[in-house]
Amino acid sequence: MTEANTVSLQVHAVSSAFQEPEWVLRLREDAWQRFTEMPEPRLEKTDLRKRGWETGTFVASPTGVPESVRHYVNNLDHPYALFVDGHLIEVKHTEAQGQQGVIFTDIHTATLKHESLVKEHLASVVKVDDNKWSALSLALFAGGIFLYVPRNVQVDVPFESVHVFTAAQSGTYPRNLIVADELADVKFIDVTFSPEQKEKFTSSHVTEVVAKAGSRVHVGTADEFAKGATYFVTRRALVGKDAVVEWTVSDVSNAFTVELVEDILEGTGARGETRVIGVGYGRQHMDLTASMVHRGRHTESDITMHGALRERANSVFRSCTEIVKGAVGAGSEQHDRMIMIDRTARADAIPMLLIDENDVNRCGHAASVGKIDPNQVYYLMSRGIPQALATQMIIWGYLHDSVEALPSAPLRDLVVARIERELSR
Amino acid sequence: MAKPNFQVEDLHVSIEGKEILKGLNLHIRGGEIHAIMGPNGTGKSTLASSLMGHPHYEVTGGRVTLDGQDLLEMSTDERARAGLFLAMQYPSEVPGVSNANFIRQALNARMEEGKEIPVLKFHRTLQEKMKQLNIDPVFAERYLNEGFSGGEKKRNEILQMSMLEPRIAILDEIDSGLDIDALKVVANGVNSMKSDNIGFLIITHYQRLLNYIVPDYVHVMMQGRIVKSGDAKLAEELEAKGYDWLKEELGIEDETVEVDA
Repeated sequence: MTEANTVSLQVHAVSSAFQEPEWVLRLREDAWQRFTEMPEPRLEKTDLRKRGWETGTFVASPTGVPESVRHYVNNLDHPYALFVDGHLIEVKHTEAQGQQGVIFTDIHTATLKHESLVKEHLASVVKVDDNKWSALSLALFAGGIFLYVPRNVQVDVPFESVHVFTAAQSGTYPRNLIVADELADVKFIDVTFSPEQKEKFTSSHVTEVVAKAGSRVHVGTADEFAKGATYFVTRRALVGKDAVVEWTVSDVSNAFTVELVEDILEGTGARGETRVIGVGYGRQHMDLTASMVHRGRHTESDITMHGALRERANSVFRSCTEIVKGAVGAGSEQHDRMIMIDRTARADAIPMLLIDENDVNRCGHAASVGKIDPNQVYYLMSRGIPQALATQMIIWGYLHDSVEALPSAPLRDLVVARIERELSR
Repeated sequence: MAKPNFQVEDLHVSIEGKEILKGLNLHIRGGEIHAIMGPNGTGKSTLASSLMGHPHYEVTGGRVTLDGQDLLEMSTDERARAGLFLAMQYPSEVPGVSNANFIRQALNARMEEGKEIPVLKFHRTLQEKMKQLNIDPVFAERYLNEGFSGGEKKRNEILQMSMLEPRIAILDEIDSGLDIDALKVVANGVNSMKSDNIGFLIITHYQRLLNYIVPDYVHVMMQGRIVKSGDAKLAEELEAKGYDWLKEELGIEDETVEVDA
């Protein structure tokens, strides 16, 4: 019990730092209890036994904003919130919101000012007892945004959260909650910057999306996890009748990461589209699952995963489509392709189809793992293009469509710069 | 600039230890069009690929020079920058890389840094050449060869050739799979480039293409070497009589050296 008591102090420290209402503290305490009681999870292809569950200490006062991050946010002309080590540094609002009843604020403020909305939806999609790290997230979440778009409001510009992690003695626990009411249309961007960490702390990042009937939500992300910590990332959307949720997820990392990107296609005609861009280097271990759960009738989904791995990176890319009994007329496609740039890199592409319904409209998967096609390299070289450039062009070519799908120009530039940095080393 | 001068002397090439080319000689100067004909499996495509430096082919003997430079010492991209071009029989598809971007990178690879071709000028030239070759302007932004028909791929090879202005151009079965209209377009593209600054090596199975591109020299390949050379009349003779009379004349029973075409 000593462990639980010690770190339960951390729960109180986080809660009081954000001056949260009592009901949030109760949620956190309950989550902490579950976190400590839950057994060690066992994952296929990812060994968690040596990772530990150290959470570190909560940093009460953040340091400054790194120059590169300052430069990035200064170029944003849409609403954004900037967090350093979980603390809100600044929020920029534009005319895009407010007047239409859109709420865009940090999650802690939201628990005070928008209590009923937050109470209704917080942990409703990524639930406290999903697994050990979902409990951990709810116990210690610090930073993250609450975005609410009312019925029939369409916003053209994206909303963005930028997280910077500088503290070496702490895990990281951002938590975003996005609620799109009926017929709403919204784009959200989630960006992280993180340094190398010497200690093996555990982190748990959560984004949950509630997409009500007829709404459209597109989430674009750019993660950059450095080696040291263990990162659990859970991104899940509950997709209502005729609603559409798109994820365009990019990760350029050399960390130890376990990530889930999932759409629960609950309503009739719900649609999910997930694109993943994964570039691993160093001794990265990435275990990423893109999942579609078809519960509603005539639900549709597409998964496209593209990975490029350098050095000793080792990645497991799973795409999983589940069609439950009763989800008649569902359709789903998976396309996974991994390129190992260096001989020492390793990748697994695992397509999974779990189908309990006989009446399926379409269901297909294609997965490949390999090196760059030497005939393509030869072809480009035969026109005078040097080998190194030819190789880069081919890799860019294959990431191109997914990079283009990222929902803002600064985000695309950031992701391109991160990938370029790793490909040209 | 002096006329291109391309020499192949006693070239021997193997694939996985099996010798395919067994002492091939060829001399092409600027302004000349050479055709290499021959039945399937006699080493024609091996010649094209090994001259370009495909990693699958091992040169075991001989010399290849362009303007006095030793091509065999060069990597594939260096050969291209030295002025060699190969229009391939089966060009690769490269998703995500647009045709225009590909050709621009290829052109810029030839320029010194900072002297790259201006973007507007490039696109104007590209569109002009595409028009000449009857290529829909949207193909500039299509991904390289992805989803192109056979004929579109061949025209795209000719487009690249006319943009890159090589000194020696090898066309490997550029006529295969083309209907007569596409064949004429390809032939016009080649004929419009003809000058003292470029020499052509046209590898073909059929004489048909040579009705539209009239060669100065015709060589027949069998058993991995050139067994007979002549002028355009030789091609007509082959078309009329087939290859068997030549095999008989030369005392060749099996003309092939490889299993693949």
